[in-house]
Amino acid sequence: MLRESSNIGTIKHEVLYEVAKLVFQGELEEKKETLPLEMIPGPQANFRCCIYKEREIIRQRIRLAEGKAASPGSENKNIVQVISSACEGCPITRFVVTDNCQKCMSKKCQASCNFSAISMLRDRAHIDPTLCKECGKCSQACPYNAIADLMRPCKRSCPVDAISMDENNIVVIDEDKCINCGSCIKDCPFGAISDRSFMVDVIRLMESRDIPVYAMLAPAWEGQFGGQVTVGSMTEALKELGFDGMYEVALGADFVAASEAKEWSEALEEGKKKTTSCCPAFVKMIRKHYPTLMDHISTTISPMAATAKLIKAIHPEAVCVFIGPCIAKKEEVLDTIDLGGADYALTFDELESMMRAKEIEPKTFGEHLQQGSIYGKKFCISGGVTASVVQSLKETTGDTNISVRVCNGALECKKALVLLKAGKLPEDFMEGMACEGGCSNGPGSILTGRVANVNREKLFAQADNREIHENLKTYDQYEFSMHRK
Amino acid sequence: MIITICIGSSCHLKGSREIVQKLENLLKLHNLNEKVELVGSFCIGNCKSGVCVKVDNELFSLVPEDTENFFTSEILRRLTYDCYQL
Repeated sequence: MLRESSNIGTIKHEVLYEVAKLVFQGELEEKKETLPLEMIPGPQANFRCCIYKEREIIRQRIRLAEGKAASPGSENKNIVQVISSACEGCPITRFVVTDNCQKCMSKKCQASCNFSAISMLRDRAHIDPTLCKECGKCSQACPYNAIADLMRPCKRSCPVDAISMDENNIVVIDEDKCINCGSCIKDCPFGAISDRSFMVDVIRLMESRDIPVYAMLAPAWEGQFGGQVTVGSMTEALKELGFDGMYEVALGADFVAASEAKEWSEALEEGKKKTTSCCPAFVKMIRKHYPTLMDHISTTISPMAATAKLIKAIHPEAVCVFIGPCIAKKEEVLDTIDLGGADYALTFDELESMMRAKEIEPKTFGEHLQQGSIYGKKFCISGGVTASVVQSLKETTGDTNISVRVCNGALECKKALVLLKAGKLPEDFMEGMACEGGCSNGPGSILTGRVANVNREKLFAQADNREIHENLKTYDQYEFSMHRK
Repeated sequence: MIITICIGSSCHLKGSREIVQKLENLLKLHNLNEKVELVGSFCIGNCKSGVCVKVDNELFSLVPEDTENFFTSEILRRLTYDCYQL
């Protein structure tokens, strides 16, 4: 039930939950029209100006939960979508003079402005919004820090400048630039940006019972359901939900570490610089914004694809569903359908809604289960991929002398890519993760920050210290290519 | 050229994965991997007929057995036409 205190997270979650419940009951088609009315019964509005706006927001969110574009009739194919009815059109001009202004004698702001946008009022400077080109020079020039940069939160959060406004100030995402990292979803204070979901498809396939559906949990999952829910207990809960089994993506990550170590060693001999390929938003950033660097992307497939390929080598008919903190993975699925990898991708958010819809709570005990090594498990933390590759080198050639630039977050990725493009990157390799801190801070998480870290550390501490290559030996009999074409 | 194949649950059950595999093999056979890109899409909304496949915004409805025919009559034809245009 939505109340006045409902925040963006709960609204998104409640809609996913209600939709999941209807799909499990087989009643989505007949009841989805009335769902907004049930969720917002009125007559009092809860969180917006009126119930009609609230219902429209719910209606658009239902479309996203079904995997459709947020607005009917829209041809937009992006994963990240604008919920136009929820966008406030933030009526803010970017640079604003604050009370700190002393109307000083030097008037450095005025001198720095190339567009004559700054005039002096009675007690402070004033920026004419019609003349301001948002270059930011005045803000840098002011000795009192009196000019605030009030960029719209969505625009500020986008690392690739894909966000602009239409004539009504409603946010527009440029599909050609967007890398689906989900940063704006996290940062919009009105929850006006969200992502499409494969949830309905996955539930329908599980319910059809014709084909085995396997869940693949991304390493960042540990700790998302509390510090007590182990791999074993989560596997039980997923089976109760309707999956036929669960594989840890940390296992695929072990395959990736081994393959990457080999590929990097070869590249080093040839004197070629390489980047990682596991973060889909980082890979997309290179493809869309630094296309000349595409050859530098390692051809090793992602841990998600590796895990799915392993599952399909064991169970050829399996449908493989990645469940992680990542929104860009949904696009990776669509982009790589010819790879024979993952068939669908869900977020932890969506998984939690599905479990609630079926009234399943993961138990806090269960048999001990571990598929991935601790190195694979730590792929979800910035620096974790590099550490695993180094470990793999240690186990094989013994030569761990490689220099890697660990790029933590999209901005660091961008800086390093600019250097690489200019031929000035001092390191031989680049680990790129678009989310700051790594996947563990992904936009599809249930918990982030300290709570998530504490839980995760607790669970990681229970893992044994098996080595990567020792772990892979278990799967020697299964053959599949670890490279994209 | 981009061929979009729906991977929604309904199309999945009707064999979208098999169609992708067949198209991939045909593209390899004709050495067209560089020219034609296969991408997936969320449910296209035409679930009543076969698997939804889109070529240049034109919607087709396929069953896996039709794949070869579709490839020759639509994909190859379009590509040869493009060649003549050049």
